Amino acid sequence: MTALRAPLSRIVANPWAQAGLALLLLLGCYGLSSGTVQILSFVLIGIIFAQSINLLTGLAGQISLGHAGFFGIGAYGAGILAKTHGLDVALGVPCAMLLAAAAGWLLSFPAGRVKDVYLAMMTLGFGMIFFEVVREWSGLTGGTMGLPGVPSPTLRTLRILGVKLDGTAYFQLLLAITALVLLLMRNLTQSRIGRAFFAIHTGEVGAGSIGIPPGSTKRLAYALSGALAGLAGGLYAHLVGYLGPESFGLTRSIEVLVMAIVGGLGSIAGQVLSVTLFTFLPERLQVFAEYQFIVYGLILTFSLVVLPRGIGGLLLEPARFIRPRALRAAAALPAALPPAEGGGVLEVTGVTMRFGGLVALNDVSLTLAPGRITALIGPNGSGKSTLVNVISGLYRPSAGRVVFAGHDITGLADHQVAAARVVRTFQDPRLVPHFTVRENLLLGAHRLQRHSALAALLGLPAAIEDEARHLATIEAVMALTNLTEVADRVMATLPYGTRRMAEVGRALLAHPLAVLLDEPAAGLSEAEMERLAQVIRDMKAMGLAILLIEHHMDFLDDLVDDVVVLDSGRVIYRGDIAGMRCDREVIAAYLGTEETVDA
Amino acid sequence: MDDFFFSLVLAGISVGAVYALVALGLNLTFWTTRALNFGQGSLMMLCAMLTVHLAAQGLALLLAVLGALFIIGGLGIFIERFAVRPALKGAGSMGWVVSTLGFGIFLQGVAAKWFGAQAVAFPDILFSAQDYVSVFGQYVSLQYLVVLLVAVALILLLELFVRKTVWGQAVHAVSLDPELAGVQGIPVRRIILGSFIASSLLAGVAGLLIAQIGGTVDPAFGFDLVLLGFVAAVFGGMGSSVGALVGGLVVGLTSKLVGGYISTAAEHAIAFALLMAMLALRPQGLFGRIEVSKA
Repeated sequence: MTALRAPLSRIVANPWAQAGLALLLLLGCYGLSSGTVQILSFVLIGIIFAQSINLLTGLAGQISLGHAGFFGIGAYGAGILAKTHGLDVALGVPCAMLLAAAAGWLLSFPAGRVKDVYLAMMTLGFGMIFFEVVREWSGLTGGTMGLPGVPSPTLRTLRILGVKLDGTAYFQLLLAITALVLLLMRNLTQSRIGRAFFAIHTGEVGAGSIGIPPGSTKRLAYALSGALAGLAGGLYAHLVGYLGPESFGLTRSIEVLVMAIVGGLGSIAGQVLSVTLFTFLPERLQVFAEYQFIVYGLILTFSLVVLPRGIGGLLLEPARFIRPRALRAAAALPAALPPAEGGGVLEVTGVTMRFGGLVALNDVSLTLAPGRITALIGPNGSGKSTLVNVISGLYRPSAGRVVFAGHDITGLADHQVAAARVVRTFQDPRLVPHFTVRENLLLGAHRLQRHSALAALLGLPAAIEDEARHLATIEAVMALTNLTEVADRVMATLPYGTRRMAEVGRALLAHPLAVLLDEPAAGLSEAEMERLAQVIRDMKAMGLAILLIEHHMDFLDDLVDDVVVLDSGRVIYRGDIAGMRCDREVIAAYLGTEETVDA
Repeated sequence: MDDFFFSLVLAGISVGAVYALVALGLNLTFWTTRALNFGQGSLMMLCAMLTVHLAAQGLALLLAVLGALFIIGGLGIFIERFAVRPALKGAGSMGWVVSTLGFGIFLQGVAAKWFGAQAVAFPDILFSAQDYVSVFGQYVSLQYLVVLLVAVALILLLELFVRKTVWGQAVHAVSLDPELAGVQGIPVRRIILGSFIASSLLAGVAGLLIAQIGGTVDPAFGFDLVLLGFVAAVFGGMGSSVGALVGGLVVGLTSKLVGGYISTAAEHAIAFALLMAMLALRPQGLFGRIEVSKA
């Protein structure tokens, strides 16, 4: 299988092969029976619908058990607009699509607040409510009697912009729309938006730390996914001509989830294969139709164990997340580090953090100056990471203020703190494991990318240039952090030390003025540590204010300018490192006091 | 108090007790693995179906019930071993939501194939549908009362078990931190397995009781019930036994009252609206605790 993957992937990704297949279907459909054309039309609609799940669940990681709701909104929207209000299909379907997008956007507000099983239930609830509403709102939807007579080729009533379309012509239209959707999906996964979706999928904390706002990113994912499902629904309405509530129940939601999972979440081509398989099999194999439920059930039960990445993962190489065109454009640009700019002062004043009865930080104050490295040390549990979490916006302090460059950033969300140019790293690197080093670093630049969503989706020059500019910076940062050799290796395959370095590099890409490094040297080899020390010195030379949490005294010795020692949430020492070594209170905190030995 | 209102309240409490039972079964596995069995409804259906068919083979009714429960318990083991355990290794809940849902669909498909898709009559186990008692001048079905009593009794028993017994404490330890519990010598694996067996049995019992009330059972039976059980569990707070009871009653009462005074059609929709509102405003539910996660 592995040997097959590379050539297969090349064929699937080849634009000539894609165009060839499209052309073959476009012209070949004249030779097919109307029944086959009908089934192929269902396949195309299924592909668009599956991409909608792929976008929301595969890319952005938000499970949905109620996607039939969006599909239904699109179908009933288009059906009612065309049948009851006589709107032209060319206008009705886009309107229905917008309606479904709006529903997705609205759902994202409650859904964005919950995760995992709660999200599964909320989306399930959404699907059920939609189903009940459709069934009972007879005045609008026809209720259980359904909505017959939607303009469609089977009824010979489908007219678009005055042109009468038969089954074959409608299939050709569907083919064009599907090709466009697939193209846009490909562009999406290779754009700043798609990468942000994956970042949210991997972890909202990690994404927030580099300025990717989880809330609005999820809202966009829900809206786009809703739009795609709505489009599929609208096209479905005009294919079948009759809408009944039973077509939009839980079974439909589960069916599309099965197809998306079997195809391989995140794989666009996998979805196409899977939908084709699942649409044709029941038609051609009577046995399959008979055992449909049993087969679906078995597939869902075991697919994640047997085929964790679906058909797409089995047959094809993993997709990449930067446009090749942007990479080529970047190669022509000179590699340059982010410009050195005078930074701001980060001031922490009287910060107290309580968790229930536990006081993790007690009236902590410290100042980080531009171009200075401040070490924050203290025994385990003394509150070092808690302080970083407070500054970076993960925790809202119980009391006290955090001010950066004159702006009060106390209590801002983590992505807003990053936008204020205070960027952190974590004790355990929070990177996207299936991204390459380069792709992960490009995530760091996400908050600086200014090109519009439309430019990103269409691959307009504005998007390519913007991406290329940041890719050139990445080249320089990788040279600095010694990552050039592994630039195109997938993160999950790399050793721990390399991943830590990549996270530091990613933080640099966000053009920070202050960086908070949470134990960056933990688990590094001697050589890697030296490299890291050099990187930190370079950051100092760039004028950044640096906070460094570390236990390694040798590592800190000739690196840091100031030292702040925490013990049980209090600052017990402030000064230089030599003074710290003979400070009685610091020694007591680490080694215990003599009195306790005597007593 | 007018009779109509009173009868709605009674009906609400009765179905609420059923939802509470289902929610209780969901809670059990949530305690130990933070996973829920989305196929719980199929277990309810299968238990009732198996009882009918074992009885039809000439088995004494009580033996048929025990036999069905035995099989359902075995399926609990299967679900833990093949649907949940592999999925828990991966990150997030996608895995087990999909795999348990899939297993439920599979069971439903098998039942439809094997027993046929038609509804079959369910025999009277304890009381027949004609047994009534009179409360405040209202006739109350004894079967409804039994469900309510069983639900309350099970909730009390579970609370006692968790609070007073060593095994209950062990369950508590596993729910807080399975790894830590394992290090301390608690047989985590066995406790998780036990919770799935118990949860499946609870689903089976709930299935029997409800089939008894309804009088018939078909392969699709249980699906709506388990959805409303979810609503009850989330509303009361996942993992809380008292929450399950209160959640069940609230969902039951609200849906019956809305059904009675506004439209029966809105019964289910209002329950799901409750679910979404609760998830949006207070995801931990009425009695649940906020899960503190360390960043």
